[in-house]
Amino acid sequence: MRIFNTTTINFLRYRKIAYAISLALLLAGFVSMAVKGLNYGIDFRGGSEVVIRFEKDVPVAEVRSVLREAGVSGTLKQYGMDRSFLLSTVFNGDTNELKSLISGALNDRLKGDPHEIVRIDAVGPSIASDLKWSAVKAMVAALLAILLYVGIRFELKFAATGVVAIFHDVLIVLGLFSLLGGMFDIMPLEMDQSIIAAFLTIAGYSITDTVVVYDRIRERIRNQKPSEYERIFNESMNQTLSRTIITSGTTLVTVLVLFIFAGPAIRGFAFAVFAGILIGTYSSIFVAAPLVYDWLRLSKAPVKLRGTAKS
Amino acid sequence: MKNKRFNLLLIAAVTLVALWSLWPTWRDYSLSRQLSSFSTQQDSLNFALSHRSEIEDARQKSLKLGLDLKGGMHLVMEVDQVDLFSEKAWNRDARFDSLMAGVAKEARSSDADVVDLLSAAFRKDNVKLSRYFYDIRNSDSEIQGKLRKEAADALVRAREIIRNRIDQYGVAEPMITTQGNRKIIIELPGVSDENRMRNLLKGTAKLEFRLLREPELQVRTLERINSAMVSGAVAAAPSSASSKAPLYELVSVSPSGSAVIDSRSRDVVSALLRQPAVRDLLPPDSELLLSARAEAARDGVSYYDLYLVKKTAELTGGVITEAKATFGSEGMQPEVLMSMNSEGTSKWARITGANIGKRVAIVLDGAVYSAPVVQSKIPNGNSVINGIQSLEEAKDLEIVLKAGALPAPVRIIEERTVGPSLGADYIRAGLQSMIWGFTAVVIFMIVYYRKAGMAADTALVLNVLIVLSVLAGFNASLSLPGIAGIVLTMGMAVDANVLIYERIREEIAEGRSITSAITQGYDKAFSSILDSHVTTLAAAFLLYTYGIGPIQGFAVTLMIGTAASLFTAIVVTREIFQFLLSRNKMTVKSFG
Repeated sequence: MRIFNTTTINFLRYRKIAYAISLALLLAGFVSMAVKGLNYGIDFRGGSEVVIRFEKDVPVAEVRSVLREAGVSGTLKQYGMDRSFLLSTVFNGDTNELKSLISGALNDRLKGDPHEIVRIDAVGPSIASDLKWSAVKAMVAALLAILLYVGIRFELKFAATGVVAIFHDVLIVLGLFSLLGGMFDIMPLEMDQSIIAAFLTIAGYSITDTVVVYDRIRERIRNQKPSEYERIFNESMNQTLSRTIITSGTTLVTVLVLFIFAGPAIRGFAFAVFAGILIGTYSSIFVAAPLVYDWLRLSKAPVKLRGTAKS
Repeated sequence: MKNKRFNLLLIAAVTLVALWSLWPTWRDYSLSRQLSSFSTQQDSLNFALSHRSEIEDARQKSLKLGLDLKGGMHLVMEVDQVDLFSEKAWNRDARFDSLMAGVAKEARSSDADVVDLLSAAFRKDNVKLSRYFYDIRNSDSEIQGKLRKEAADALVRAREIIRNRIDQYGVAEPMITTQGNRKIIIELPGVSDENRMRNLLKGTAKLEFRLLREPELQVRTLERINSAMVSGAVAAAPSSASSKAPLYELVSVSPSGSAVIDSRSRDVVSALLRQPAVRDLLPPDSELLLSARAEAARDGVSYYDLYLVKKTAELTGGVITEAKATFGSEGMQPEVLMSMNSEGTSKWARITGANIGKRVAIVLDGAVYSAPVVQSKIPNGNSVINGIQSLEEAKDLEIVLKAGALPAPVRIIEERTVGPSLGADYIRAGLQSMIWGFTAVVIFMIVYYRKAGMAADTALVLNVLIVLSVLAGFNASLSLPGIAGIVLTMGMAVDANVLIYERIREEIAEGRSITSAITQGYDKAFSSILDSHVTTLAAAFLLYTYGIGPIQGFAVTLMIGTAASLFTAIVVTREIFQFLLSRNKMTVKSFG
């Protein structure tokens, strides 16, 4: 079976439009982050989260009022599972006290509907600041490692634009988290450790698609005149189009499966990776390669590529 | 030809090792199914006894499920170094206390080194560390070194004591490790009574025998605090601010001089007692402590006792060698019997002998359990804690007393607890994602690449087997994020095949023979495959390095899966093609 037969799309011709779309998406994300900010989970802000599951259906407002009357502070929301609610409150170091307060109130006021506290996560402020730093370090280290590796395997212009594409992908997903954060009950889209895992996965995967295109360009650009670059870039992108789409497709399918089946704890992660791979595929064609082309065009120096593409 | 045989051998070896490593998991599964299939308990018991070693062996070597799938607690505890260092300091004064309070506040909200924070705070105030720590002649850096060593020792001791407590309580396969210079990480799979576990872990278990002050002195002290509250020298509770006797609204004093407080105003009184202004009003070397338990009185209200005790302990828990929870002689009151070592025995005999008729408070972690009157000299080193509510609590006291006191207080600073019912949900969710993810990828590859797709699918099965077997072999556990990593790897592992097959299709389209197209395809696609694998591996490795707990599980399966797919997607599929080619079962149509 074939989805794409030989295509002859002039990708480079649309690059200005693509740049504009990318900038618009990035800008929307930045504005949202400045205005609305990000929805931090307890991993990074510290706090306690308790998931309470009831045996029978009960309206969220009722549970909320029972807990408020019992003096439990914090917010209560529907959790992405049946008959379950998520209470987020401050970290106080004494989980037993919090638990007995919740259980006491619910047993007292909602007698006919037994509940169970199925999960407790509590993160103290020092751990939260620790996790935040680790997340930043991991992201920076990953970007540096990728820059270094692609720099060694190709050359600086390719590596730099590849990393620009990663930034592009991750920042757009980050913007999406800010824009859509708190809008859906089934996925709160909070920034937590699993989202950092998603960002690193996106970073690793974004460069995968990009490298496939770069690899083909490298193979064909050797000993060619700069005037031929436009044709070579376009042809390379067309030749690798089907594999770019299919490799992303297989991964998207598995991420979609995770989103549907793996439960609320994984949903935010799956959403981030799904969006990241979609955007990463787009950026490898419309951002990374065109940026290299523009850079080569402006610098006018003939490209010196490392690595041996066998012919 | 030689090379080819080597590859075949390698594939066979890898497959065998993977199956061998997963065999105990399969045995464990089938044995427990057999166990639950018997109709009577007697039958299953007999079966369990006759197959005991086999069952235990399989269980020990089988693939472990993570805390989130099995249910359990993940705790991070922190040794309170500020408290540890404060205890080490001599001639503590108000200035020292305020400096340390500042350090404590900073330490709570960051992960910075406490010795650094402490030195910085002292330097800012132009106070030499040697004024409070160790020898006056020591330089700051010498003292820093000593404090660091003190902290490191305390961490190791705290870990051992916590391990003792957990072992005595009885948890299957606990994991207790230290991280950095003040954190202890505790993993407790399958703990059913988490409340009890938390109580068991957090107490310092600092046991002290302290003399009570005379009742008249206690009455006079309370009177002094009351007048200070009236005059406004001590901030009074808002409810009693306008009263003439603000303290006596909280504390009732009986004619005999003993004082009690209503259990409802416990927090208010504790806050009051913590005020430095109140502490200044106490007689030298004295402290006001509350009892550990509230006693219900006839009017239905429960009351805590309030005691004025000497601050210096006569004897501490270090001398305790044995502790036993039991019921007291009179009625069903649980208590803990303790015996002491020879040094403690002789001291205890001297103390009791010298204080006949006086009261000795038995204080654990700052709460008075009982304050019996010394009837006679106790020569045999026995003592007893009563005033305990339940036998369960007595058993917990026995555990913490046997395990010994922690060198400094420890606090829970992170906790992730998953109940068993949610764990079962996670397992179901994880299995479903694996099955659906696998099915989707397998079907897609067959539809899109036909015969070659089947080869890729075979490689994918081996890939998943390798990931699971490496986890089982290295005794790592499988968590929900780990399953997510496997599902994601399934999508990424076939990417390598997609790159190769697309290249082969191109070569075929250019008119090459099938044999040559396959060789060219593998050769030319290799560079992109390597690049993409290296970048994914680097990202996963950094995630593993900087992440904690659940995220590491994801990073590990992603790393193993990605590394394994370099082998399965490239070597295994190629060998399959070589085999099919040699039997003339491959044509240009085999790539769809």
